Amino acid sequence: MPPSAALFLADGSRFDGHGLGFAGTAFGEAVFFTGMTGYEEALTDPSYAGQILTFTYPMIGNYGISGSAAQYGRACVAGAVVKQIAHRPSHHLARTDLPGWLNAQEVPTLVGADTRAITIALREHGTIWAALAVGEEALKAAEGRLVEFVRTATTQGLVASVATKRRTLLEGVPGGARVALIDCGVKRAVLRELQALGAEITVLPYDATAQEVLAGDPDAIVVSPGPGDPTDLPQTVEVLREISESKPIFGVCLGHQLLALAHGARTYKLPYGHRGGNQPVKDLTAGDVIVTAHNHGYAVDASSLPAELEATMINLNDGTNEGFRHRTRPIAAVQFHPEASPGPFDARRLFAEWFESAGLPRR
Amino acid sequence: MPRRNVMVIGSGPIVIGQAAEFDYAGVQACRALGEEGHRAVLVNSNPATIMTDPEVADAVYLEPLTVASIEQIIARERPDALLPTLGGQTGLNLAVELHEAGVLERYGVELLGTPVETIKLAEDRDRFKRKMQEIGEPVPESAVITHIEQGVEFARTAAFPLVVRPAYTLGGTGGGVVYNERELRETLDAGLAASLIGQVLLETSLLGWKEIEYEVLRDSAGNCITVCNMENFDPVGVHTGDSIVVAPSQTLSDLEYQMLRTASINVVRALAVEGGCNIQFALHPERSEYAIIEVNPRVSRSSALASKATGYPIAKISTRIALGQTLDQIPNPVTGVTKAAYEPTLDYVVVKIPRWPFDKFPIADTNLGTQMKSTGEAMGIGRTFRAALVKAVRGLDLKRETLTGSFTQWSQAELEAIVARPTNERLFAVCELLRRALYPGTLDLSNGRAAAIERIHAASAIDRFWLNELADLVELEERLRAHPNDADYAQALEWGYGTRAFGDDSRAATAAPPAFRMVDTAAAEFPAKSPYYYLSRGESDEMRPTPHEAVVVVGSGPIRIGQGIEFDYSCVHAAWALKAAGMSPVVVNNNPETVSTDFDISDVLVFEPPGADEVEAAYRATHARGVMLGFGGQTAINLAGELSARGVPIVGSDRNSLDMAENREQFDAALARLGVARPQGRAARSFREARAIARELGFPVLVRPSFVLGGRAMEIVYNEGQLASYAESAPPILADAPLLVDKYLRGLEIEVDAVFDGDDIMIPGIFEHVERAGIHSGDSIGVYPPQTIDEAMERRIGDVTLAIARELGIRGLINIQFVVHDGRLYIIEANPRASRTVPIIQKATGINIVAAATRIALGEKLRDMEYGTGIHPHVPFVVVKVPVFSFSKMRGVETILGPEMKSTGEVLGIDSSFAGALFKGFVAAGVRLPGSGGRILVSIADEEKHEAVPVLRRYAELGHTLVATPGTRAVLEASGIATQPVNKIADGSPHVIDLIASRRVDLVINDAKGTREISDNYKIRRTAVEAGIACLTSLDTARALAEALASTAGPPRSLQEYRTAQATIGF
Repeated sequence: MPPSAALFLADGSRFDGHGLGFAGTAFGEAVFFTGMTGYEEALTDPSYAGQILTFTYPMIGNYGISGSAAQYGRACVAGAVVKQIAHRPSHHLARTDLPGWLNAQEVPTLVGADTRAITIALREHGTIWAALAVGEEALKAAEGRLVEFVRTATTQGLVASVATKRRTLLEGVPGGARVALIDCGVKRAVLRELQALGAEITVLPYDATAQEVLAGDPDAIVVSPGPGDPTDLPQTVEVLREISESKPIFGVCLGHQLLALAHGARTYKLPYGHRGGNQPVKDLTAGDVIVTAHNHGYAVDASSLPAELEATMINLNDGTNEGFRHRTRPIAAVQFHPEASPGPFDARRLFAEWFESAGLPRR
Repeated sequence: MPRRNVMVIGSGPIVIGQAAEFDYAGVQACRALGEEGHRAVLVNSNPATIMTDPEVADAVYLEPLTVASIEQIIARERPDALLPTLGGQTGLNLAVELHEAGVLERYGVELLGTPVETIKLAEDRDRFKRKMQEIGEPVPESAVITHIEQGVEFARTAAFPLVVRPAYTLGGTGGGVVYNERELRETLDAGLAASLIGQVLLETSLLGWKEIEYEVLRDSAGNCITVCNMENFDPVGVHTGDSIVVAPSQTLSDLEYQMLRTASINVVRALAVEGGCNIQFALHPERSEYAIIEVNPRVSRSSALASKATGYPIAKISTRIALGQTLDQIPNPVTGVTKAAYEPTLDYVVVKIPRWPFDKFPIADTNLGTQMKSTGEAMGIGRTFRAALVKAVRGLDLKRETLTGSFTQWSQAELEAIVARPTNERLFAVCELLRRALYPGTLDLSNGRAAAIERIHAASAIDRFWLNELADLVELEERLRAHPNDADYAQALEWGYGTRAFGDDSRAATAAPPAFRMVDTAAAEFPAKSPYYYLSRGESDEMRPTPHEAVVVVGSGPIRIGQGIEFDYSCVHAAWALKAAGMSPVVVNNNPETVSTDFDISDVLVFEPPGADEVEAAYRATHARGVMLGFGGQTAINLAGELSARGVPIVGSDRNSLDMAENREQFDAALARLGVARPQGRAARSFREARAIARELGFPVLVRPSFVLGGRAMEIVYNEGQLASYAESAPPILADAPLLVDKYLRGLEIEVDAVFDGDDIMIPGIFEHVERAGIHSGDSIGVYPPQTIDEAMERRIGDVTLAIARELGIRGLINIQFVVHDGRLYIIEANPRASRTVPIIQKATGINIVAAATRIALGEKLRDMEYGTGIHPHVPFVVVKVPVFSFSKMRGVETILGPEMKSTGEVLGIDSSFAGALFKGFVAAGVRLPGSGGRILVSIADEEKHEAVPVLRRYAELGHTLVATPGTRAVLEASGIATQPVNKIADGSPHVIDLIASRRVDLVINDAKGTREISDNYKIRRTAVEAGIACLTSLDTARALAEALASTAGPPRSLQEYRTAQATIGF
């Protein structure tokens, strides 16, 4: 018999199901992901650090765990909630099954819960602190521990928990662009897209100083995606402000928000975030609509963009800002994930386009 | 945008490969045109559709779908534009033909949406292949063939099996998988003939690859979204229309999903599609390689499925795109706040299972391949694949509540053969094999399971994922049969089983209570407005209160022979009538093709099998006044007893009326009380008894089992020998399953639809059949107003109808079939429900009898309505319903008409004269014959020869050449009719079959009533079907056709004009 398990939301609601072999309690923000595929990418996405992730798609694990789809060296979510999990996956790339992997990764997981009811609760209440407890012992203590957790809960420290601690060099092709990447919790797919363009990448910790970033005189700077609230990283914002006069910069997701802050714009918390692969984004310059991958709980306040920044993209669902560029300098950023993984490839071209506009050599 | 005059072409009659999905698409298109302020001119020959209602389009033409006929309509309506991509392959081909014939240019008609160039590019196999190579999208190795020897040449270099795909055809007509040169030659011959441009693609087979489909929308600005992807349970090799289809895909990784999504968008961009497009892929299960199999640049069966699976109305959005709007401008009809430029995400799973007509055609070839054979489909929505699959199976209305149990008698070898070479029963054969492997008695369960799955996978290439899912279901079924327990029972309910699937239902209420969930396109990310629900178990309920008091309308499930789109038509009108009466209609149905399952139609749509559990749950959740069963065909009527037992009130004719009409003895007693005659007959409990009854009544007699078990049902037998051979092949005659033997009266058949409110009756019109009794009413040509019966007989019919309605306690619709024999009126059967003729009589007379019946059910009286009472006067024009068959899709099927229904659809001819209406009806049904100078092959049974002479003489007088088999020829020559001879098969080549196969005749008349043996006649009929030559099997039909050919039909007129003409004579 699998252990009992439940998700407790800070408003007192509770959703029951059962756990996998690993017993324990996870605390974090409860959020939901609407993609119908890509659970391996999502579970290993550093932007989900500190979050309990509910999959709205009810059958998770069908094609197993490949390892090659992973975005990080380990699972990043604090906990996972699914309706039905596949114990017998079928795919030629599957190296193991999802339940076994979640156990090995020690991710407390709730299975068999009414994930749609959870999603509606999150939509109505907004993102909320939560506890996911697996096993009788954990269940008994969960509510009390959640109250305790909420008292001090914070998004601070999430980036530090997933970002690199030291400078790392990833080689490019001869004559390729030399890019410094400020790592706030980068996905492998971002590195892969840059490497595909032939770039040499220097991965830097999120708290690197301006001198450290500019050391070696990179051709351009990329600010990576990552978890949490951009206002938790004032030091990174300050570094971006310092270097924005000298280098082409491209920001993705959290990087987009940090770049906005560095230019004096404001960010705010979305009611329940955007997490999925079906968000329509309108390119205000070209006029076309692309479907994009999202994973963010905060947004840039478009009305606060300074005169030198021009909004380039807008979300068709809720009108939130999805991108901007500098009117005179090669600085651009997008809120969504052009690297997809998981999600549609519609925006993949943006990396190459930015290389083009910044005059960077590309393969 | 200025108001434009836009023509929409429908898809014509329901045939295999083209069903109700285009009614759904056409209705959405016309509504979108109306919402944008445009005038819609609709052409469709299919009268059973909602789209041909005068309320749907501004001008409705029930006219033949031919270039000549549409040109006439264009000439008088002068449309500004034509919308070609919503009428299926028929509409698309016509648009291309109108363009090629210069008609569009001549009248300045602009083609909206996807340009002709794109249609031609996607349909022309050769150009399409080159285009794909140009943009770097993979296609299977192939050759474009225009004559047979070219194909044989290609086969020398490429290995068998090969796939034959004719260009410009519907449902894979004429195509197939071939394994050797003989099959190749045969299939190429049929395929080249079926193709509009005499071209087929011969390609290397990707048998065993995963089959994946994407539904894409592209607007004129180039924006693309994918609405849905789908994965087939059946790997490549089975036509997608005959495959079990799952949405969304289940075994694709994100990378594969996105790879194919990107490829879809690349293709749609390269083709410059403007609107909906369907793309089919093969995906290698071990290498993630793919190839594009097919592209359909139009809305399709798959897009209807995708619309119902996601809630995203593809046809409506396609229409707006065709009008020039872009996806980011079009409002999202589901949320009401966002835009149409988004991709639905699902938090449930959808499974579609086809419904095949093999129960009606016992000798048909049930193997599945690239040519579609199913007539309809059932869709299940569930939170998991298991739940969705079980609901789809239950929704087929085959009385199967579980996956195992029906095939326990089959041998291992039979089951394995089906698994390796798919038939319609493959799913059940797989489940039975799994059951045997899981429960062999003593073997270790897990080993048995794994080994069985490997074996089945090796034989069928069905993905192990599906097999494991099935094994979980089979395990549960077996556990519940062996050791019923509460936990498994709750699990079964969650997995979609009915409360009665395993006997006891006492645990239902507490085990896993029903909960309605919304289909919202957004996995609950945004609140939705669409009132579209499915049933889950043991979860939270989302049903919102209805705006008004609810009434449940029970639908008719999948389209099958005998229960077609006409019942959907009635359900939609019932829903509309309820709305008009200030009530909230709640529709329960599971057919993804239809208008009734468009969430725009009702206040609550419950997409579930129309079964007792689901109807009861819908009734309770909406606090409805009751349920209406009279519109959903026999499927709905059959629920009466069960629902009554559960305390669910039936609104309208109640259980007693329904029972009485169904129960032969009660019905006979009622007729006796009324003094109404019916053909004499009795139930026989043995062959000896049957023979005695037949002798007493006198041959011919009509025989049928009282419980129809297999496909065999009614037959007319002319002598004792035939009775004996019937008894041998029919289900055994048993004491509790007697054989019914009735005197067969070969008289004029009459059909009446009426409404009765307890006091008054209203009969909008009486139908008369061209063929005399003995041919199923669905297969007969029907005429209104009647041409031969007099006023006194009409009055008598009205009186009897009233008496029967009163006796049965009808409150709403009643359909009665009569025979007039030797001037006497006999009743054949009465049905307390809507019928096939309801949409036709409603269209012909403009009287909405469904609305009247609905209002009666709510307690209103006819005398307080606007429809009048009694029999209505005739309209000043004639409508003729002509049945349409799908014999070309059903290899081997006997085409001779009899008491068992065989047609899949119908067309209507309307004209000021009977002959003109007949003419249009025949043309619309696809019977083509030159006015004179045609060659007609005649072969008539001895019993009919004397009656045949005057009919055939008429053809000769019209200038046709008669070619006759020896016996028929002797009779004709003796009567002074010149004929050309042709050999019987036994006399050697060139014989009658050679003549037909080489298409050297234009029409075949083969009335072989009373012959049962497989003979020359059967071969004549089948060869005619394969050769695409019309074959009439009744002299009555032949007589009517001669009359039609001798006349000239009037110009096309819209239904609205006919209505006006009717009004001027007073009503």
